[in-house]
Amino acid sequence: MEERIIRSARVLAPLSVVAVLVWLGMVVFVAPPERVQGVVQKILYVHVPCVLPAYLGFILTALGGLGFLLTRREQWDRLAHSGAEVGVVFCSLILLTGPIWAKPVWGHWWVWDLRLTSTLVLWFMYVAYLFLRAFVIGSDPARTLASVYGIVGTAAIPFVYYAVDLARGSTLHPSNPAREGLPGSMAATWIAGTLALLLVFAYLVARRLEIARLEAEALEHAVREPGI
Amino acid sequence: MSGPRVAAAVLAKDLLLDLRSKDRLGHMAVFAALVVVLLSISLPSGTPATRVWIPTLIWVVFLFTSLLGLGRSFQAESEHGAIALLVQAPCDRGWVFLGKAGANLLALLGVEVWTAILCTVFLDIVWAPALPEILGIGLLGAVGLAAVGTLLSAMASSARFREFLLPVLLFPLVLPVLVLASRMTAAALGGDAIPVGWWGWLALYDWVFVLISYFVFEYVLED
Repeated sequence: MEERIIRSARVLAPLSVVAVLVWLGMVVFVAPPERVQGVVQKILYVHVPCVLPAYLGFILTALGGLGFLLTRREQWDRLAHSGAEVGVVFCSLILLTGPIWAKPVWGHWWVWDLRLTSTLVLWFMYVAYLFLRAFVIGSDPARTLASVYGIVGTAAIPFVYYAVDLARGSTLHPSNPAREGLPGSMAATWIAGTLALLLVFAYLVARRLEIARLEAEALEHAVREPGI
Repeated sequence: MSGPRVAAAVLAKDLLLDLRSKDRLGHMAVFAALVVVLLSISLPSGTPATRVWIPTLIWVVFLFTSLLGLGRSFQAESEHGAIALLVQAPCDRGWVFLGKAGANLLALLGVEVWTAILCTVFLDIVWAPALPEILGIGLLGAVGLAAVGTLLSAMASSARFREFLLPVLLFPLVLPVLVLASRMTAAALGGDAIPVGWWGWLALYDWVFVLISYFVFEYVLED
């Protein structure tokens, strides 16, 4: 499976470039400026499409961790690690683009809104996962402990969501932009963005997996032939 | 040796260590006292805003104080290479977790009682009218914190920068305990009814994390 994912990067690279160019072209030339928010609304064409890849990354982390604990095959752990790193990148993009849009529209850089706060807590959780991997001594313990944290972290997500909902009440986010009678060009730009970033996500995961496998091979080689 | 007996032996050993050395409990007691005194001096007295904030502040004090104790939960085993002996316990390793978590729970309950006394003295908090609710919230909050804290403390015990790592791992996971427990404490102190759903979520959190920790502790201890 790992080999197939890594090989898919060759196809994913040109596809991602084309999809991103089409998407950005649509953001600039096709999607009309929103009547009330003006040009600043175009940030949402980046912000919203980042959500799906971010959550996919974290799902990969949990599944990879579970797979590693059950089978002890390192490729599962590499998948979990790659998912977490790429997921954190997209989650960071959500947290960066959100405030840039929120300041002119909501009047504040940061609002303790349900989705924003849950995403921030999720980001902290997966940054902690990466710290754990970095600070645990020895690669075997790091794999096992990170897998455990990935699973425990995933179990905490519904509780975090409930707690933030309780603490902060309803969300300021629009319910679902697609359902609010958007003009076709705006909805199409959103869909194009989501597809483009899903391709970029898949490409990044494949390349990160390749790097992780090369690292593992180099380490194995160094252990077998320490003099070289 | 059966699992419950192993858990009881680990719990008794940790309690004995705590009572003999008094380091862990003593440090937590002094730290909690310092923070409550700092709060009582710096908070404007008697304003409605202060009343609203106090339950959350109490739980933050408790969380930070707990961190001191939880961080040292596996210190003795790490320093004396005794984790290898715990691994050899003739039972499911989840029982070792239950023993360690039980000892941490008792220490945290002690810290809660101490913090409550400090809050009565320095912040004029009157617990008596809502005592049954407060006892329930304190117990459920401490169980969740002890379960997650014990597991993460074991995970961080052999890592570099463990003083940094433990809070970074712990705080996002115990956010639900902090939010629920402080809301419930505020409701109880204000004389309001606590929604059944809040009790349910807090109890469910405890149940889920005790169960998960019991099963994954096997992997944590082997490494």
